[in-house]
Amino acid sequence: MALTAARGVDGVAIAAAVATLICAAPAMAVIGFALAPNESANLDGALLRDGIIGTLALMLVGGVGAIAVGAISAWLVSLCDFPGRRWFEWLLVLPLAAPSYVLAYSYASFTWAGGVSPIPVSGFWGVAFIYAVGLYPYVYLAGRAAFASQSACALEAARTLGAKPMALFTRVAAPLARPAIAAGGALVLMEIAADYGAAQHFGVTTLSTAIFRAWYAHANPHAALQISAVLLIAALVFLIIERRARGRAAYAGGSTRWRTLPRYKLNSVAGVGAALFCAALITFGAALPLAWLARLALLHARLGDIAGPFVNSLTLSAIGAAVTLTLALAIASFARRAGRLGKGALFAAGIGYAAPGAVIALGALTLFGLAREAGWVGGLGAGLALTALIWTYAARFTAAGAGPIDSGLARLSKNLDSSARTLGAGPITRTLRIDLPIAAPSLAAAALILFVEILKELPATLVLRPFDFDTLAVIAYAYASDERLLQAAAPALLIFVAGLAPVLILTRGIGRARAGAQ
Amino acid sequence: MTLSRRTFALGASAAAIAACTPAEQASAENFVNVYSARHYDSDRMMYEAFTAATGVEVRVLPAPGEQLLERLRAEGDATEADLIVAADAGNLWRVQDAGLLQPVNTEALSNNVPARLHDTDGNWWGFSKRARVIVYRKDAVQAAEVASLDDLASARFRGQVVCRSSTAVYNLSLLSSRIERLGAENARAWAAGVRANFARDPQGSDTDQLKAVAAGEAQVCISNHYYLARLMKSEDPADRAVADKLAISFPDQAGSGTHVNISGGGVSAYAKRKDRAIQLLEYLVSDAGQNILAPSNVEYPIRPQIAAAPELVALGTFKEEDIPLSALGRHQAEAAAIYEGAGWR
Repeated sequence: MALTAARGVDGVAIAAAVATLICAAPAMAVIGFALAPNESANLDGALLRDGIIGTLALMLVGGVGAIAVGAISAWLVSLCDFPGRRWFEWLLVLPLAAPSYVLAYSYASFTWAGGVSPIPVSGFWGVAFIYAVGLYPYVYLAGRAAFASQSACALEAARTLGAKPMALFTRVAAPLARPAIAAGGALVLMEIAADYGAAQHFGVTTLSTAIFRAWYAHANPHAALQISAVLLIAALVFLIIERRARGRAAYAGGSTRWRTLPRYKLNSVAGVGAALFCAALITFGAALPLAWLARLALLHARLGDIAGPFVNSLTLSAIGAAVTLTLALAIASFARRAGRLGKGALFAAGIGYAAPGAVIALGALTLFGLAREAGWVGGLGAGLALTALIWTYAARFTAAGAGPIDSGLARLSKNLDSSARTLGAGPITRTLRIDLPIAAPSLAAAALILFVEILKELPATLVLRPFDFDTLAVIAYAYASDERLLQAAAPALLIFVAGLAPVLILTRGIGRARAGAQ
Repeated sequence: MTLSRRTFALGASAAAIAACTPAEQASAENFVNVYSARHYDSDRMMYEAFTAATGVEVRVLPAPGEQLLERLRAEGDATEADLIVAADAGNLWRVQDAGLLQPVNTEALSNNVPARLHDTDGNWWGFSKRARVIVYRKDAVQAAEVASLDDLASARFRGQVVCRSSTAVYNLSLLSSRIERLGAENARAWAAGVRANFARDPQGSDTDQLKAVAAGEAQVCISNHYYLARLMKSEDPADRAVADKLAISFPDQAGSGTHVNISGGGVSAYAKRKDRAIQLLEYLVSDAGQNILAPSNVEYPIRPQIAAAPELVALGTFKEEDIPLSALGRHQAEAAAIYEGAGWR
């Protein structure tokens, strides 16, 4: 048995080590180069300070806002009954398909300067608003999965004891769903840390915009690397805190008896309030900005040039998601069994998620430059450029894939693992024959999230793609940055449409995953 | 089953990567590669006309100038780029400063491009011009009140000025020209004066500033000339209504002239197809290229004898600031520091 274990540990551990190296390398390169001494360029203290303040403030307002409305909406559709609930259940996920920069350009276009809204969505509060209504689905999805799989007994017991819906939520359901909400919330906060487009367009200094300011305006790449390193290290610390918080709560709600949850029927006033609340989220996070883009796209309907980028986007997202998922799976499987070392691998591979895509691309480019100088590779021809691009996607999004997989694997009983081991199965066999089938729904969810993330990704695609290879995000950006929103509208809208299918599959999947539901 | 799915994913990705490579070989040898920070339809039309005239296929990689620079740096001598095209002399200077351009000098280039609109050593050559102008609301401001950029710093416009972020290269080059002509102290005082007049912190694009002025949120803004021209001929009636409320002042006609910048191109230091890169560059400044560019884009042609777009003809002629654009690059970082010191976002 010792022999089997040894042979098996090698397989999964080696795969995980390689995957971690691949995923962490660009971010590590950035930190490494930032720490290397450089006499010519020192970090601008004021820029860093403003960046930290801006990022933290946006996390506090936009991030906490997203987490709150995400958790509340998940609770409402999972455990309450009110008019339109069935519709809201899947509509609430829609904003996931819209990138923050698309929301920013759209809101700027129709609420600024004599636009339709008396209050312009602009400046700090505007960005915070966009994050809150655009990013809450990460928490909504995680929260819904958690509420859906909660033990009915705990809730029933609380109700029998006379708990009102509010108390039920704050004292029973929410604490039970806390690990999942924390995981979704972590994704939201990392998205906020990494966002560049929305903050830049609305003139808010964050760590991300400070990086570009140092890099381009001050022509000081070393200072940019240093600010990037601060952002990455902060993400690392943040991830560790989140893990700890989650780790302690991991065994909460361990009942294994399932049956359909009785929904709490809201009275008419509360019901209408709940419906309005959900409707407002969908309206601001998706319907309103997209309707505006649709209007612009109709004013300028020239769809001929979009077919190629559309196909490129889908192909690239599918390949990127498949590769990233494979790497994430190797790391998550290893992490489940390898204790601290495994958790370390998860952290290392995950920090890229908090960095702007351009920073990770810069890390990849720098490593590529070193490899080229060493004579290992030639120029960034089509094949190599695409490989570098997919590598960057993996480095950037592993956390988004590993999170759901990790949660899925966490549901596996340790006993199952031990039994398999007793029967002589090594780690590879166990991963393939036990982990994978059981975690399949989580894997599917991870794959879809990765697909949508890569579809929306912009800066890395801009820098690393081959000649004559445009994606929807690239052409939407090209037009929008040239201040031609009219022409940018159609590709931006198509990003949303292309992301919609996976997002809808995702919601359906969660509905079905509800144990006891038919 | 799960194993086969995974194998399939890997196989599919390898196949897709492989599938993308043949396109590179298929076009035989008769092509030229352009890294471009411009993504205008007019450029594509010029490239297509060039291909039609010469049989040389133009392959383009459009991306923001700063990011192209990082890619060029990483690629070094292995780069596939032959010609590098960017908007703003400040951006071209950055590529030059990184040692990624090579000087070229041909009769066709020097005959067609006015001396101050190309690098003195021939590292880059302009092919179109843009003016950085003051745009004001007709019903609130008299033309005489915005005759100079200095006016934007005067007490007359307290709380009435809007502008895009100071990190935009257009603003950096504008201040660089001031540093070059009048010195850093003057530039600092001007930046502080304008800052004191802001109606709000800089945000959004030039077009957003034009809309803010039309909507009455401010009276004046700084913008490149063609953003207003675009609104004039937009397919969106709301855009044309915005343009109707606005007018352009070409500042400093009585003094140094209006700040004019270029879009231009330079031959990559490691160009594998140098001859074709030069050929394309010459085409961009030739009669044929300029006659495609001028009517379709609302930039000014690089050569005085080519007619500008009708929208621009309607704006009238103006005196251009007379400093060599190669001077702008040197002051970029200083300009950024001055803006930040003055509290521009």
